[in-house]
Amino acid sequence: MSTLLLGWLAAVGLAAGLVMGFGVAPREVTQGNVQRIMYLHVPAVWVAYLAFTVGLIASITYLAQRRPGADRLAHAACEVGTVFLGVNIATGAIWGKPTWGTWWTWDARLTSVAVVFVMFLAYLLLRGAIEDHERGARYAAVLAIVAALNIPLVHFSVYWWRTLHQPPSLLKPGSSTMPAVIVTALLVNFVALALLGAYFVARRARLLAVEEEALA
Amino acid sequence: MPDNWAYVIAAYGLAVAVFGAYWLRLGRREREAAALAAGWRDRAARAARPGPPAARPETTPTGPASRAPRP
Repeated sequence: MSTLLLGWLAAVGLAAGLVMGFGVAPREVTQGNVQRIMYLHVPAVWVAYLAFTVGLIASITYLAQRRPGADRLAHAACEVGTVFLGVNIATGAIWGKPTWGTWWTWDARLTSVAVVFVMFLAYLLLRGAIEDHERGARYAAVLAIVAALNIPLVHFSVYWWRTLHQPPSLLKPGSSTMPAVIVTALLVNFVALALLGAYFVARRARLLAVEEEALA
Repeated sequence: MPDNWAYVIAAYGLAVAVFGAYWLRLGRREREAAALAAGWRDRAARAARPGPPAARPETTPTGPASRAPRP
């Protein structure tokens, strides 16, 4: 699938996601229209998890086989995952102010997600800080693995500790208690953002290949 | 509960700004990388041509050529 086609699919998906989130999904009874932020906040973190998982697998592959393509994929996926996680954290804070009465609180979910975000920022800084490309790629792969292994901690933190953040509504054992239209809106937005993430990763990985070729 | 549309607009606006900025940054770096790659290809093609080697251009005022001792 060409990158351009992926980009157009993402654009169509994002338009469909907006229609689902603002046109089809009803106004939530308890929270009002501010709940519509969830159609962005929740899929953004799912895409970030997905990107970091790709980064984890590509980093393990790089350490095992030393294939430059795996390193480029890991770099691109971790960078794009960090962008999506940043959007997730920021939109969560914007939702939290009218709903919880605060932008931020140091509860287990928010703190653990902030730690993962900082670890991936460190990953990106590390990539730029080491001049020896092979050594930088090796150190970055180790850091990506360590950082990605924290994702289960983020997800289960709402079960393991008492938190202000609510437990997962969809990624949990058993069936969802949410109305089908809200679940559909979330899934459409997830597909749209996943396409956007894949488009960004494809372009970033190709750019890394061109940069490496030009600087070789 | 009030609708708080300002927060909804802020959240979606911020996402558009972040994704848009990242998209623009990718485009800018692709153009820079393409120009760099084209420069290297051009230089390699000139080096492969028979004849006397081309003179090294003085690219920057602080480059090695400007630091060379003057006669």
